[in-house]
Amino acid sequence: MRRGRAPGLLRSTPFRLALMAATLFIIAFGVAGAVALHSIRADLAEKLDRSISDTYEVMLATYSREDVEDLIGAVNAHALAGRGNSQVFLLTGPDGHVLAGNMSVGLIRPGWATQPGLELGLPGEASYRTFTGESDGYRLTVGKSEAEISEINVIALTSFASAAAIVVVLALTGGAALALSVQRRIQTIASTMDKVSEGALSERIPLSRSGDDIDALSAQVNEALDRLEASFEGMRQVSVDIAHDLKTPLNRLRLVLDEATELQRQNKEVSKLLDEARAESDQINTTFDALLRIAQIESGARKSRFAPVDLGSVIADIGEVYTDVADDEGQSLVTRIAMGPVEVLGDRELLAQLFSNLVENAIRHTPDGTAIEIGVDEWASEAVAWVADNGPGIPSGERDKVLRRLYRLEESRTSPGSGLGLSLVKAVADLHGAALELDDNTPGLRVTLRFSLSRT
Amino acid sequence: MRILLIEDDRKLAAYVAKGCSEAGHVCDVLASGRQALVQATHEPYDVLVVDRMLPELDGLSLLKAVRAAGVKVPALFLTAIGGVDDRVEGLEAGADDYLVKPFAFSELLARINALGRRPPVQEQRTVLKTADLEVDLIKRTVTRAGTRIDLQPREFSLLEVLMRNEGRVLTRTMLLERVWDFHFDPKTSVVETHISRLRSKIDRPFAVQLLHTIRNTGYSLHAPR
Repeated sequence: MRRGRAPGLLRSTPFRLALMAATLFIIAFGVAGAVALHSIRADLAEKLDRSISDTYEVMLATYSREDVEDLIGAVNAHALAGRGNSQVFLLTGPDGHVLAGNMSVGLIRPGWATQPGLELGLPGEASYRTFTGESDGYRLTVGKSEAEISEINVIALTSFASAAAIVVVLALTGGAALALSVQRRIQTIASTMDKVSEGALSERIPLSRSGDDIDALSAQVNEALDRLEASFEGMRQVSVDIAHDLKTPLNRLRLVLDEATELQRQNKEVSKLLDEARAESDQINTTFDALLRIAQIESGARKSRFAPVDLGSVIADIGEVYTDVADDEGQSLVTRIAMGPVEVLGDRELLAQLFSNLVENAIRHTPDGTAIEIGVDEWASEAVAWVADNGPGIPSGERDKVLRRLYRLEESRTSPGSGLGLSLVKAVADLHGAALELDDNTPGLRVTLRFSLSRT
Repeated sequence: MRILLIEDDRKLAAYVAKGCSEAGHVCDVLASGRQALVQATHEPYDVLVVDRMLPELDGLSLLKAVRAAGVKVPALFLTAIGGVDDRVEGLEAGADDYLVKPFAFSELLARINALGRRPPVQEQRTVLKTADLEVDLIKRTVTRAGTRIDLQPREFSLLEVLMRNEGRVLTRTMLLERVWDFHFDPKTSVVETHISRLRSKIDRPFAVQLLHTIRNTGYSLHAPR
């Protein structure tokens, strides 16, 4: 037998979903982080530029055409005040000589520039942001180290990276944990189904009580298993019943024939025994035919022939056929039909047999003087049909059992009948989706059938 | 009558053939559907009796092929499961009647007789007459020796079927199918009850009996012979 083997964790659907979710989350986190980093950088760069240009403006304000000394003083004062190499200044005269400042001439470009410290003759690895302006041949350069920005960059990047690492680990372990728990439940379903396919039809999938989709699916599978088990049990029951209810009369037939053979040998009259044998074989045939019919009805194939049927006319026919029969048996049959048609979707022939079986049961299992009623009416958008009598009825404990195949009440064991009449009624009712109820008619039996009306 | 029986169970076939010849018919027996197709389309028969399950060519396909060849001989279909889809399938394939196995020989014979003597074209008589009993199918009236008899609708259709088959035996099952449209066996005396009611109306008040019970077989309506 082919067994459903469990796929590895990496191939399991829940894990793949978790992995996919984690990946998406990480990508989203990365994009958000990049956007945030970029705007922080832009903001810091803008602030740096503004402070450089502010400083430049302040220094330039100290310069006037006749007097460069003040400017030289200001540059030197600033250069001295500049902490370490974080701020750099350079003032050169029209002849290119250094007039003041704390850096060498180096490669100074006019306007805004970003240069490594080395190019400016400064120690350290930091790069510098510089602004160089010219006035009357004097060139003033103001620069600031970008070390602070790159430090912030590094901090942002490392904190982002560690956050991302935490997210990845959490997403993957969480996903794996989720996947494992889901996979364990799927595994339970698979092993249950394995047991079922090996014949343990009573196995059911345990539900987690969370009411999620897996539970809903499992509940559906369990329902299907209930039906499978019931029909399997039904089939098993039938074979047991056939063995009993067909083999017993077959055995009787055999005995009758043996006796006839014996009488024949003694040249005695055998026709009575042969009549008995015929009746016995007819009974076997009736039982067998009824079993086949029920099986065919239960297979549902006849549903394809369903058409709108007026239950009123079916029941009127049955009532008409059996009124005289009941009369002859010393009972009375009354028919009550609703005004107007009561249309249901169904098979007219099977419905006729259903009601005929019910009426015949009432006629055969009730004493003289019993009043039997058959009727149909529309009630709350249902077609309600009934066959009721005021005979001895069926004890409440037995009412479910009489619907079973070949089940017969002890009292009726001696009267003729296959014990299949009511199970055929049940099969036809089930085929039509009709609810079948057996109730106490105080006194007597009341069989009610509720059909849904056909909407045309 | 000349009957072709297509049945692969030898014992059953021999038994039926013997019974038919005792009843004055000629009965040819074939066990294979394919042979039967050739035979049925080349020889004139009055009735075909076809089993559902046959080797090579099954009964349904055989019937369809025979009908497709334009042969209109009446056919009786033998099936193992009665009343359900097998019957409908058989009738749809071109059978004129069906019989469920196991059957009583008298039942088969009654049905063969009813089929074989079926007039080629159903004449549309509106008044049926047997001796002094008259049924007017249009006015829905029954009279015997000039006396008007009132019948229930079901009794009327029962009488109509009996009179249309005047002189032939109609079995209980045939009546159930034709009068009540019951394709199952009722456990109560539906037929007996209605026959007895009918008899009390059309026979009992009169000197001559027309409706006869044929023991172990069925009923027949005919004028005294």
